[in-house]
Amino acid sequence: MKKKLLMLFTMLILSIGLAACGNNTSSSNSSGTDASSYPERNITIVAPSGAGGGWDLTARSIAKIMSETKLVEKAITVENRAGGGGAVFMAEYATKEATNDYMLMTKSPPILINNLKAEGNSPYGYKDTTPLAQLTKDYGAIVVKSDSSFTSLIELLDAIKADPTSITLAGGSAPGSMDHLVGVLPAYAYGIDPKQVKYVSYDGGGEAIAALLGNNADVIATDASSIGEYVKSGDVKVLAVSSSERLPGVLEVVPTFKELGLDAEFTIWRGLFGPKDMSDEAFNYWSTKLDEMAATEEWQIELERNGWQHEYRNAEDFTVFLQEQEKVIGDLLKALEMHK
Amino acid sequence: MEIITYLLNGFAIAFQWHNILFALIGVIIGTAVGVLPGIGPMSGVALLIPVTATMTSGMPTEAAAASSIILLAGVYYGAMYGGSTTSILINTPGESSSVVTTLDGYQMAKQGRAGAALSIAAIGSFVAGIISLIGLILLAKPLSNIALQFGPAEYFSLMLLGLCAVSGLAGKSMTKALIMTVVGLMLGTIGIDTVSGIARFTYDQPVLYGGLEFLTIAVGLFALGEVFKTILEKSDSTQPIAKIKRILPTKQDLKDSAIPITRGSLMGFFIGVLPGAGASIASFFSYITEKKFSKNPDSFGKGNIAGVAGPESANNAASGGAMIPLLTLGIPGSGTTAILMGAFIMYNVQPGPLLFDDHPDIAWGLIASMFIGNLFLLILNMPLVKVFAKVVQTPPKYLLPIIIAISFFGVYAVQYNTFDLYLLLACGFLGYLFSKHDYPVAPLVLALVLGPMMENNMRRALTISNGDWKIFITQPLSLIFIVIAVAWILVPIILKLIGRKVIVTDEG
Repeated sequence: MKKKLLMLFTMLILSIGLAACGNNTSSSNSSGTDASSYPERNITIVAPSGAGGGWDLTARSIAKIMSETKLVEKAITVENRAGGGGAVFMAEYATKEATNDYMLMTKSPPILINNLKAEGNSPYGYKDTTPLAQLTKDYGAIVVKSDSSFTSLIELLDAIKADPTSITLAGGSAPGSMDHLVGVLPAYAYGIDPKQVKYVSYDGGGEAIAALLGNNADVIATDASSIGEYVKSGDVKVLAVSSSERLPGVLEVVPTFKELGLDAEFTIWRGLFGPKDMSDEAFNYWSTKLDEMAATEEWQIELERNGWQHEYRNAEDFTVFLQEQEKVIGDLLKALEMHK
Repeated sequence: MEIITYLLNGFAIAFQWHNILFALIGVIIGTAVGVLPGIGPMSGVALLIPVTATMTSGMPTEAAAASSIILLAGVYYGAMYGGSTTSILINTPGESSSVVTTLDGYQMAKQGRAGAALSIAAIGSFVAGIISLIGLILLAKPLSNIALQFGPAEYFSLMLLGLCAVSGLAGKSMTKALIMTVVGLMLGTIGIDTVSGIARFTYDQPVLYGGLEFLTIAVGLFALGEVFKTILEKSDSTQPIAKIKRILPTKQDLKDSAIPITRGSLMGFFIGVLPGAGASIASFFSYITEKKFSKNPDSFGKGNIAGVAGPESANNAASGGAMIPLLTLGIPGSGTTAILMGAFIMYNVQPGPLLFDDHPDIAWGLIASMFIGNLFLLILNMPLVKVFAKVVQTPPKYLLPIIIAISFFGVYAVQYNTFDLYLLLACGFLGYLFSKHDYPVAPLVLALVLGPMMENNMRRALTISNGDWKIFITQPLSLIFIVIAVAWILVPIILKLIGRKVIVTDEG
């Protein structure tokens, strides 16, 4: 009996080990017969965070779809390299791995923000990588409780303008990072000094929503994709979203910043990056493969399964987009006096 | 009445043979995850999400979602069961929530009572699991509303109370305990401050931006510290290891544990409901409460079974309590529940205010399966106690390298960087020096957890009130905590002053 249990236990430990690798080794190692020699080895996509976060899920989805659709014959493994909100791996990626064609990375706006902000600065930005593609998008939303006296964003902004101490804005990330920027962006566009806006940061969007529902915050800035359920249940109302056009679904009735006469928009994108000195061969390979992947039905299903919105930009468009975004974020950080 | 119908429906789903199997697999893997340091419940659940997705791929969406979640939740509470094992046997906390279990659990193991400690941890976890489930069924809605009322001011006062109670962890000298508390608080300030976004004590090293990892420090101080001690003080290693007298707890053990288990379960459940507080805080509060209420507080830290029974029940109950904000509000209170929420969303099921209306089968099926899972865990864990208890009898020359390997593997698996391995070594060496000179390490570790939460909540509260300190005493809940905190410190001193004979652990 005892032996059996011990056996069972050993098996379990092994099965966990297997589970840990299962996702990574799902594709076959058969060698490609392409005319070009890249890729000759297996490929690693690094998520510069722990398992389970947005970067990690994006990396795993790419690996999964690429192998399921047999677009990439070599195995793609996902590696988690947490630390410093992505800054630790970024430093390594931009220096030690600058010529490693076999290591890619998933990232989102923090690649710009971390590089621009004064505190907790990462000396490396998107220019120290080769942008390959934008794959998904999300938007910021300005949310109040359903029994709030504010019925429009302009009313809220007027109240902040009249007395900045009277309104508490909350978000799920540190000042100078994404939620804060989304929250003060409309205020900045409305002519309010963004430094005056009272911002309280929580550990993650969930806690920020809790603060809103518990009357510990008057308004929160969060991801549009995560707020729909609370709108349906009638707990909150969304005053505005940061997209350029109205969003589908429950948020259809919500105006954009632009509609309200505020010249501001913000996209929470996620994309794939290559190393700084990527070879042309590798760059062309990934540009083609990502183009193809984004068009597959499997990728669409994967996006839907994760609740992500499709937005594909190829390497060229993505680089232009990053340049524009860098300017938007830079201006805002300057106004907040948080620019490096 | 309506609830009973829903619950019975839930059982109908949970008793489908494949769901029983999923619950069983979940809790077995969970136990293993809990036992192995480094793979905590969080990474365990995260790594299994793609596996369950494949396993359930042939089923209709709703049923697939129910089955996957049943398995993943099993991993979560199963890990809470298993977490105590390494704490008790080799002084290596696998999860932050089982750090306090090392204090008395390891001492019990040294005395040859490893079997009793492990059994009571399993029994306590089972009772806690059931109590928190009943709480989940009956109190989910009202409690989730109360949890929302917990704002930054309330959190600050609760943490303040916790810090005042650190005295409960003091060894011989209160002064040394306070020194260690302050060191812990100072270490907690390293990293990018989440309230202002300012980098503190990072010296522009990105590796320090996220602060020092709690688990690295805890494993270093407790496990490696013990290893160094055994190696450097050779006399210890030749000492005969206490023989395991019995596997099951004695009648007296059970009697001594009954109240701590009940108290720990209730306390753990209510703390677990609060988003952000979580299992570590619950186990810690339970420990100091048991010590405070004990007739014999001196025996804590020397192998008192209540010091295992209370915290182990509390951390399990907390994982049940943490399901409340997740299921009813869609607010994950901890890293693991955040990943569970990701799993829900993957199946297009959004946890939150509408979950019980939109997907009653999933919600109630999950709750019912947790009853079954907890029963499995008890049946599974009691025989395992015998196997595990043997670990203590392993000669040090084999055991020590294993502990070192597990510590390094565990820390690397969580942090993925070599900096933490150096930190681990340094903490191990410090841990040895501390214990050699009688500085208690538990206050340091707990201050490291409480410090940042306390500081952030204080500053959030002050931001909300525009710098008005009155916010801490005008909020009724916050006021209550502050009054208790003040009483905790003052009452023993006053009693002593007026000449009553009380045990005050102020000087040694």
